[in-house]
Amino acid sequence: MHTLNRTTNQFHNTDARSHHELRLQRQGQPFSRLMTIKFFLLLALSLMAMQSFAQAKPDANSAPDTFVQAVADQALMVLQNDPEVKKQNIGRINEIVDLYVLPYVDFAKTTRLSAGKYWRQATPEQREQLTAAFRQTLARTYSGALSRIDSGTKMDVQPLRAEPDAKDVVVRSRVMQSQNSQTIGIDYRLEKTPTGWKIYDINVENIWLIQNYRNQFSQQINANGIDGLIAALNERNSK
Amino acid sequence: MLSQASRLFYKFLTLVACILTVGCAATQGAPNPADPWEGSNRTVYEFNDGLDRAVFRPVSEAYAFITPQPIRTCIRNIFLNLGEIWSGINSVLQQRQFDAINTMGRFLLNTTLGLGGCLDLASANGQPRIPNDFGVTLGVWGFSSGPYMVLPVVGSSSVRDTFGDVGNLVGNQLNTIGYIPNVGLRNSIWGLEFVSRREALLQISETVDRTALDPYSFIRDAYIQQRQAKVLGPEAAADALPNYENYEDIEADDKALNIAPQK
Repeated sequence: MHTLNRTTNQFHNTDARSHHELRLQRQGQPFSRLMTIKFFLLLALSLMAMQSFAQAKPDANSAPDTFVQAVADQALMVLQNDPEVKKQNIGRINEIVDLYVLPYVDFAKTTRLSAGKYWRQATPEQREQLTAAFRQTLARTYSGALSRIDSGTKMDVQPLRAEPDAKDVVVRSRVMQSQNSQTIGIDYRLEKTPTGWKIYDINVENIWLIQNYRNQFSQQINANGIDGLIAALNERNSK
Repeated sequence: MLSQASRLFYKFLTLVACILTVGCAATQGAPNPADPWEGSNRTVYEFNDGLDRAVFRPVSEAYAFITPQPIRTCIRNIFLNLGEIWSGINSVLQQRQFDAINTMGRFLLNTTLGLGGCLDLASANGQPRIPNDFGVTLGVWGFSSGPYMVLPVVGSSSVRDTFGDVGNLVGNQLNTIGYIPNVGLRNSIWGLEFVSRREALLQISETVDRTALDPYSFIRDAYIQQRQAKVLGPEAAADALPNYENYEDIEADDKALNIAPQK
């Protein structure tokens, strides 16, 4: 909607100032016809804008690399154009992550795999609490990284190397954080669910997230039980 | 400031005592097979962390405060560019010829058009840096990593990577910056290299502080994973995905899984 309004204003301003229009008026052209042309032009423009917006919306049933690129492009576009993000407003970044990143992530699976064999011991309530606490922790990880996004940030997905009927794939990408800086390798692991692809693990410079949390989880559970782990995560989150 | 220094000194004493006697604080639970020296490693880690918080981190933050980002990136890129020579040599030693050629191409482009490495034109044109070092070379040659080790000041390493680090020191530092005849200038450049290296990691240490449940094992597991992936190479690492077993639906008895039911 924002983009649309801006386009309209620009269109008006340039047109109103245009010499061409003034000349036409002097020549006695009917003004209403010009308005009609302008109206149709605007309509066409806004339709185009809407279409490109619709195309950018990630489709979980498309190819996994297309899907990941679409998720990243959408999130980057929102983050780069949000004034609150530039002010490093972590609350707003968390909101954007909730809206534009987490819907495409199978968070329950990430938590389940991180807990490993201990998942079986956990009661349904503990599972729910653990998932919520871990989600909070990871949202903080991401928002820290996302607050540094600037206009030079972009992510390029590399060609997919997977069997066409694969149910578990890795999409590799390179992220350029800002102009002239070193690129960072980020891989996404996705699983095909009945509703389409879902991301469940992420690799930053050769470090898989789930693998990196497994030992920490089991350490905490061994020392203080599952409730101890949930408490430790929540304590980290409140800092 | 004084108390911080004395605390650091105390940590240093513990560290010396630990290294002399081997094995200090006992660790909880079953020992991690990749980290049998966890007790003494943790002591060294504590010392390093204290030193980092008292000295290296504040200095890097001050550097970041007074130096604009583009200049910091430029300085970092120049040092990384100089390091490409050693990376390329290691790629050759590992028979990764394509990596070696790409690294050489990067070095030539960035050194000339990239103004001595200040501008990383190669990365901008789709050829990212291929970091490589002698520890990886030893790994490719078949040496297993051995137990995880935390070295004083240097940080995360392994038995193999400690030998690798000696090679890196000679190949990457003594044979480049080490040739500068003016001792004062040489040492200042090394100082700048260290500060700029630490400054580039500030974001990462911030993230670890914010999200790790246990920073020691977070860093250890990250280090082990990253080194393994580098020894395997990008293609093999992509195929050697971690295999997470899904325990949700498995009906197995708790004893076989070695877990005790919750109290």
